[in-house]
Amino acid sequence: MADFILNWLVVSPAFAVPFALAALGLIVAEKSGVLFLGAEGFMLVGAMTGAGALIVMGGHPLLALLAAMLAAALVSLIFAFLVVVLRVDQIIAGLSMVFLCQGLTSLISTQQGWTNRPISGLDPIALWPLSELPVLGRLLFHQDAVFYATIVIFIAFHWVSTRSLLGLRLKAVGENPDAADAAGVNVGLYRFGAVLCGAALIGLAGAYLSVGVAKIWVDGMAGGRGWIAIALVIFARWQPWRALAGAVLFGCIEALIPRIAAAGIQVPQYFMLMTPYVATLAVMIWAALLRSPRTGQPASLGTPFVREERR
Amino acid sequence: MAEPIVALDAAMPAPSRRPGRMTVEIRQTSPAGQKILIRGAGLLIGLAISVAILAWAGVGLGNLANEFVYAIFSDSRSVASVLIQMAPLLIAGLAACVAFRVRFWNIGIEGQMIFGSIAATLVAITDFGPPALRLVVMLMAAALGGMGWIFVPVALKLKLGISEVVSTLLLNYVALNFLLHLLYGSWQDPKSSFPHSEQYDAIERLSPLGWENVTLALPLALLLALLLWWALNISRFGFFTRFVHANPKMAKAIGIPVLGVTCAAALLSGALAGVAGFAISAGIEYRMTQSFFFGYGFSGILIAFLARNNPIGVIIVAFFVAILFVAGQSLQVFYQIPGAIVQLIQAIVVISVAAAEFFIRHRLKWTR
Repeated sequence: MADFILNWLVVSPAFAVPFALAALGLIVAEKSGVLFLGAEGFMLVGAMTGAGALIVMGGHPLLALLAAMLAAALVSLIFAFLVVVLRVDQIIAGLSMVFLCQGLTSLISTQQGWTNRPISGLDPIALWPLSELPVLGRLLFHQDAVFYATIVIFIAFHWVSTRSLLGLRLKAVGENPDAADAAGVNVGLYRFGAVLCGAALIGLAGAYLSVGVAKIWVDGMAGGRGWIAIALVIFARWQPWRALAGAVLFGCIEALIPRIAAAGIQVPQYFMLMTPYVATLAVMIWAALLRSPRTGQPASLGTPFVREERR
Repeated sequence: MAEPIVALDAAMPAPSRRPGRMTVEIRQTSPAGQKILIRGAGLLIGLAISVAILAWAGVGLGNLANEFVYAIFSDSRSVASVLIQMAPLLIAGLAACVAFRVRFWNIGIEGQMIFGSIAATLVAITDFGPPALRLVVMLMAAALGGMGWIFVPVALKLKLGISEVVSTLLLNYVALNFLLHLLYGSWQDPKSSFPHSEQYDAIERLSPLGWENVTLALPLALLLALLLWWALNISRFGFFTRFVHANPKMAKAIGIPVLGVTCAAALLSGALAGVAGFAISAGIEYRMTQSFFFGYGFSGILIAFLARNNPIGVIIVAFFVAILFVAGQSLQVFYQIPGAIVQLIQAIVVISVAAAEFFIRHRLKWTR
């Protein structure tokens, strides 16, 4: 039993990292007041570009991850232009982006023959001597580079959002764009930047799925994780550390699914595959029972900033 | 304190020789002709981008004209296949339309279609009810199945304020896994052991109209569109939905039952989506397959969006989307273009039309 739990916990970080990065990307974008429903699509863009870059260019997997972040940021330019400049309804724009990315990734990867081609992925890096610690060593100090990078990114975001002028202005843009504009902050620029950075992080989350975990690209491989990340952000009330905790919880749930079947416990397979989605709904309901789901939500989320109507 | 005045004067921009700059103004009104022109331009730009992408993927202009126009309108069989494809698309579009009328973002049309079809197939497998009324019972069951599946997100939204966008979407995945559980389990076809349900009996199929393979599904869809047009444009319920769409708070203040209207419209949306599932299973495939619903969710949203939530408009848009679906299938067969191209083209069209709306609500002006 102890072995079962240890083996389960050791693989959990690999499942938690995509949720954590995607949730953080969403928080970055939504702090600026842009409702970002396209996460699922940008994860797919990242996952496909990561795998494609490895197949075409070879080289170090970290370069592929970088390419994936760039690609997701590039595609998100369309979204940012739609919602910031053209003031398109953010729900319509976000949903269309998901389907655009699904279609685009499927088309490109089929045309290029990237689908179902195994790739060399990331290898774990042991941080000696910490990796020699019992239990904790295997759990936290024998993971791949993205795992460590995730922790650094979270700390960096925490510092930027609470200690820097940039973070303060980003918050102002999301909470009260009229006041921010009056104070001389370029609302459009901040929202553009936030969407690009957020999409890059979500792209990294997606690339981790293909390059880091599965080591293969399959159509639609994000499998609803982008939507789960959106739910996580609502549950976390847009606070990064709560989002990280939620990501760890969902990573553990996801890591448990193949292990339960392997342990010979008889649960119908498709009911097991439902659990992440049902658990997400359950967590959302639980959080909503405690507090209104709007708690912590940036006040201007979903509303375009129209300077001509500033009061 | 005379100085500030001077300073203020100095701060005023001097008349410059710059050519001026672009400013955005908000239009108070936009004439109908202009609206049509702008949306039409958006549509054309979207289609032009799609053509460019198809050309990149290896389908030239001549081939496109062949697949989208000639191959479809040259023989009655292809026209019929468009009309067959149109029926479920039309019903899915109506489902999206009624929900969007009250600003309920039903992204779970596919999940509701699955439960509609499951309910109808349950009736078919158990031979429930008198044979003469079997189809009616299946139709009712499908509507109830879809309605039941949307009930949870409706309750969560109205009671707890949980976003229906996320909850309806998550339930799609749950519904899909439940469908696979049935089709790989107890509902597997006993004759062929393939993961689809056993074939419906003759009385459980929507009967053919006698022209090609077009079935009763099409008249059913058209009838639903007319009924919904009446409900949304003539009845008191439709009148209420317009207030809820414009401003729920104001609607509540003037005594409109906002909660009831939203709830009714959302449940109706789920019921229609369930019927769309029934239209595929009983009108096209004559059994429940594992991916019959695929792509209808987004197409429904697109159809309602382009039709501006008008049921009569939905009929027209559904026809064109059906052409896209049929042409997409032949592109897949003859040019090895993945089926996802259909989704991609739809997304591009939605984005470009939504982007064009900017020029309906704003005016660009060159100011000096």
